[in-house]
Amino acid sequence: MRFRRNLLGSFLSFVVVIGVWQAIISFGHVAPYVAPTPLDAWRSIVTNWSHLWPLTLATVKETLFGFVAGATLGMGLGILLSKRRFVQRVIYPILILSQAIPIIALAPPLVLVLGFGLTPKVVIVAWIVFFPVTVSVLDGLANVDRDLLTLARAYGASPWRTFLVIEVPSASTSLFSGLKIGATYAVTGAIIGELAASSGSSLAMFQHSQSAQLDAAGVYGTTLIMTAVGMSWFGVVALVEFFTTPWKRRSVARRAGRRI
Amino acid sequence: MKHRLVRFVTAGGLALVATVTAISPSASASSSLTKVRFAYDFPWPDMELIPVIVAQKEGFFKAHGLKVSIVFPPTTSTTVQMLATKDTDVALLSTSDVVVAVKAKVPVVSIANYSMKNNWGLFAMPGSKLSLATLKGKKVFSWGDTWTTAMLPFVLKKAGLTAKDITVVNGEADTPLLKSGKVDFVTNTTNYAIPNIGGKPVQIVGKAAGVPAVPVWVYATGSSYAKKHGKTVSAFMAAMKDATQWSIDNQGKAVRYFDKAFPNSGYTHAYNVQAWKLTVPLLKNKSGDFFVQTKAQWSTLAQALVDVKQIVKAEKPSAYFTNKFLP
Repeated sequence: MRFRRNLLGSFLSFVVVIGVWQAIISFGHVAPYVAPTPLDAWRSIVTNWSHLWPLTLATVKETLFGFVAGATLGMGLGILLSKRRFVQRVIYPILILSQAIPIIALAPPLVLVLGFGLTPKVVIVAWIVFFPVTVSVLDGLANVDRDLLTLARAYGASPWRTFLVIEVPSASTSLFSGLKIGATYAVTGAIIGELAASSGSSLAMFQHSQSAQLDAAGVYGTTLIMTAVGMSWFGVVALVEFFTTPWKRRSVARRAGRRI
Repeated sequence: MKHRLVRFVTAGGLALVATVTAISPSASASSSLTKVRFAYDFPWPDMELIPVIVAQKEGFFKAHGLKVSIVFPPTTSTTVQMLATKDTDVALLSTSDVVVAVKAKVPVVSIANYSMKNNWGLFAMPGSKLSLATLKGKKVFSWGDTWTTAMLPFVLKKAGLTAKDITVVNGEADTPLLKSGKVDFVTNTTNYAIPNIGGKPVQIVGKAAGVPAVPVWVYATGSSYAKKHGKTVSAFMAAMKDATQWSIDNQGKAVRYFDKAFPNSGYTHAYNVQAWKLTVPLLKNKSGDFFVQTKAQWSTLAQALVDVKQIVKAEKPSAYFTNKFLP
């Protein structure tokens, strides 16, 4: 029931966005070469689909690999920093520094070093994704209920078991928030990487050439695809969260069948 | 006391009248100038702006009753839209931008050639053994713009190749990729590529590259602006003629004007000197005229864009240009 309500809410917000877009174009008398109607943008996607589909798949691949790499690195770093205070003091400022560097400035040197293939795009996506994940894991682990930890210690639980049974579930809400932010931004990283240099065509370069040809419908259509990719990754993370954190949906916890 | 007050008020009033009278000639002169916004084709300044800067600094615009401000677009493809949306009055565009704009029903018209020759081509590092004969299998950088997309097939045709025979690398910066060996060739024009690469780059340009003899850049305006403000457009071109000639005759001074106007352009003085020196021979046609456009240049380019499927059909040349505002 809640899922259906959420779905209905998402659908309504989509309708509102499309409605506002259409209204701006219609009542603002915006010329088609400046901005298209939603229908024109959709038509452009349909017309160019055979060309757009392989480009979209390439962007999906870049975001997937980059997201997995970034999330893994982010979680690993988050755990390491939370367990080793000295390492945290040394590394944390460097992490902040890494995010202060405009990614757009980082992309061209990465291309020079790593070439035009998949690698620089994956690195850029991972660069964007790892930071929110690291911070969310750090915050999540820092806010675990101290009483639970003391209780586990009193029962003689090993640090590893305490981490798995108490710390990970406690930090999961924060972790998934970081993953959702990372998943949504991942596509931005992939597009920046594609713009810096791509061998052959790419979604970003296709959009660039549509823009050069004053095909606003093509530009907006490509933007819609990019947006859909970002939203899809958000949805995938939300689904993973739904299935891996059942305790968030239940008012009464299952009886623990396992010994701590 | 009363007299003193009257004298004070009278003196003050006279002083005010005198001040207003003193400043009014310059104020009225300034307000009588017609304001014109000129949009560049690139988001940041480079040496092709020199004639416009010279026209500002040497008073050519003022002499023709104009006060021209320069506008930079957010992206390279926005300039033409700015003409249509009346965010600028006159602009510098690549010739292919005008053809594409007419296809997209954007109401713009080319009013003059900026350059008169096609100095576009392929460039490789100095000392490289690359040529059209060895183009097969090579990596060629492209900006992904309409001009490069239109010209590259001509090069391939001349080399007896198809698009599948080379790897086109699309990106936002050419020279670093060339210098680091990531690409074999970059596509550009002589006046930018040679100073960028340095030394004597291997170049396959113009006729040698098989590209049509069509100018690369033009001055353009919005169709409705041209109709309503024809005299202003003519005055702009008259000022540009004087300024361009002055920039050719006084190259050192002209470059220094640019350096001073844009000290943070990112280009060195030496670069600007060399780049402007390479631009100067492009500015006049064989008859020694500035700006004059021909029907042939537009029909050739439009057909080239049809051939590479950037446009479906070539319009009549008159749909793209007019020479009626030339001095």
